[in-house]
Amino acid sequence: MKHHIREVDDTVIVAFEGDIDLECSGEARDVLMDCASRGTGVQVDLSGVFMIDSSGVASLLEAFQNARKKGKTFTLAGVGEPVMRVFKLARLDTVFPFADSAS
Amino acid sequence: MAERKPVEVLLADGGDHISDHLELLADMSLDFASSLDIEDTLMRALTRITRHLGAAAGALFLLDDSGDVLRCHACCGAVEISGFTLKSNEGIVGRCVHKNVGEIVRDVANDPDFQKSVDKRTGFTTRSILCAPMSVKDQRIGAIELVNKLGGDGLFAPADLNLLQVLSSSAALAILNARMAEALVEQERVRRELELAAEIQRSLLPERRGQSFPVHGVNYPARTVSGDFYDFFPVEDGRICFNLGDVSGKGMNAALLMAKTASLFRCLGKTIREPGRLLGRINKEVCETATRGMFVTMVGGVYDPATGAVILANAGHEPPLFHDRNGDFTALPAEAPPLGISPLLVQGEDFPEEELWLDGGTLYVFTDGMTEGYIENGDMLGVDGLKSLIRKNAELAVPERLDAVLSHLNPENAALRDDLTFLAIEDKRGGEYEVARPLNDVPATVEIGEEVLFKLIFSSRADRLKLVRSAVQRTAELCGFTPYQAHDVVIAVDEACQNIIRHAYGGKPDGKIELKILRGNEKMILLLRDFAETIDVAMVKPRELDDLRPGGLGTHFIREIMDEVEFLPPPPEGGNLLKMVKNIT
Repeated sequence: MKHHIREVDDTVIVAFEGDIDLECSGEARDVLMDCASRGTGVQVDLSGVFMIDSSGVASLLEAFQNARKKGKTFTLAGVGEPVMRVFKLARLDTVFPFADSAS
Repeated sequence: MAERKPVEVLLADGGDHISDHLELLADMSLDFASSLDIEDTLMRALTRITRHLGAAAGALFLLDDSGDVLRCHACCGAVEISGFTLKSNEGIVGRCVHKNVGEIVRDVANDPDFQKSVDKRTGFTTRSILCAPMSVKDQRIGAIELVNKLGGDGLFAPADLNLLQVLSSSAALAILNARMAEALVEQERVRRELELAAEIQRSLLPERRGQSFPVHGVNYPARTVSGDFYDFFPVEDGRICFNLGDVSGKGMNAALLMAKTASLFRCLGKTIREPGRLLGRINKEVCETATRGMFVTMVGGVYDPATGAVILANAGHEPPLFHDRNGDFTALPAEAPPLGISPLLVQGEDFPEEELWLDGGTLYVFTDGMTEGYIENGDMLGVDGLKSLIRKNAELAVPERLDAVLSHLNPENAALRDDLTFLAIEDKRGGEYEVARPLNDVPATVEIGEEVLFKLIFSSRADRLKLVRSAVQRTAELCGFTPYQAHDVVIAVDEACQNIIRHAYGGKPDGKIELKILRGNEKMILLLRDFAETIDVAMVKPRELDDLRPGGLGTHFIREIMDEVEFLPPPPEGGNLLKMVKNIT
């Protein structure tokens, strides 16, 4: 898994690439929590992610809750079908706010 | 050094004989120069010297290799003392060698160093002695000793000593030359023997196969003989047994241990098909008889060309690299010590095994001579360098690819630091070399009408999940699922594996997980087995989904995706066995 961070108008955009699984979900969590502590909003670009597992979902969820607590926006963008399938399994497809496309 | 009188003195003392002396010296030099047998030539020279100087007897002593013992190598005249030895500082001859000065002893009775034992033994009476050292520069070689001057006043003259010194110097030079020639001959003999050994060693390597064969290897020894080896051969059921090893050290002793280990593998590999058990057996054999301090690192495996599955055991060897079809590399580190150290280091008798599904990828096994070899700019190749060379040559057929990679390590045939050995196992399914074989490994959990599609054993490590996912995806598609449905199965298996890694093994990376995939009547059956403590099934509950706490989702995923999920009664040897079924719709 690789990630790339950029900032657009005070929103931190983090793009992941590769599988977010048990091997790297801890690293993904650290990256997301760091992003949630910066700027006024976070957008997670998942267009380069094919596979996400429960530990990766947990990392997203934790960052989401953290950002919301701080009154920041938190959106997911570029979610492909396989990743959306996992969100649906977790019934999180109605919890996460999705952006239509990555800004 | 002896103080030698100038040659003119010879003229004054015995000028009448000068031409005879020169003739003798010339003859002797010629004889030495054309000598094929130095012992014979020395004997002839001594006889002539003895006669020329009018002595009753003569003996030629040489220091042995240790420099502690003088031995009579030739003698002539009244007594026979060939083979007689004395310490290098004993007797008049010893004194002469020790001081590197020639001398005349006119009456031996008055010389405290004179050894009476020889006369006692031979019955000869020694009266006077003339002795000159044989040396070249400061290198002492021995001495020539003449006994009892015949005729005249019976005493040796200073001119006799001078002449003997000249003659013995000439003999010393000849002996030294002969010894150097002998050393050269010996060197040549050793070289020829090494070449013969190298030839035998090469014959232990398998022959190169055609491009359609899935296994190829190369070996370049750094010296004539090599401590590296590799081998591969098909066994009866169509699978291919392969290995690659590296013996500690270089040279002849390493080559001999290599020959032994390679032979053991080839012999035992024909009947023992499990690499872990095979390496265990070889380890025991090598431990029983190996020289202390020598060991062998080895990767042994079995490749099934029909399914693309590899079972590997790694005894302390450099991690093989798996280059998957997406171009990513995975290193497979050793989980057991090298062979030949101790049979006690391995739990049970078998070495740990690992299963890998090539799935269109290639497995590379190599010795550290590759990664520690120097490339053109003087840098060490390293694992990353090896990966990039493999990538760069990925378009070539495997045999050419191996050669291309090696060519970077051997620029213009410069001397190698270490042996280079490189083996590749390629997934050639669909190619000419495909062997259909019955799957006779049918576990007890398989019912009639069920067929084992796949079996994988891997360690309880998060970095193994990628391989598991790719294998499950392909197998599920083979069962008839759409890629989308297959992805669901992948998610379930991934989560089930995570539970084992995180909860059953508590994050310990050395646990074993066994995945078996079967196809039954319109269903895919997945059996996931671990060897951790048996868990209380009642404790495994899916999370309440309204609760947004992170974590605990996995079990829910599995139950959502699979049509049946149950823990089977734990096997007698402990652990847990999870059965998951997905109907093929």
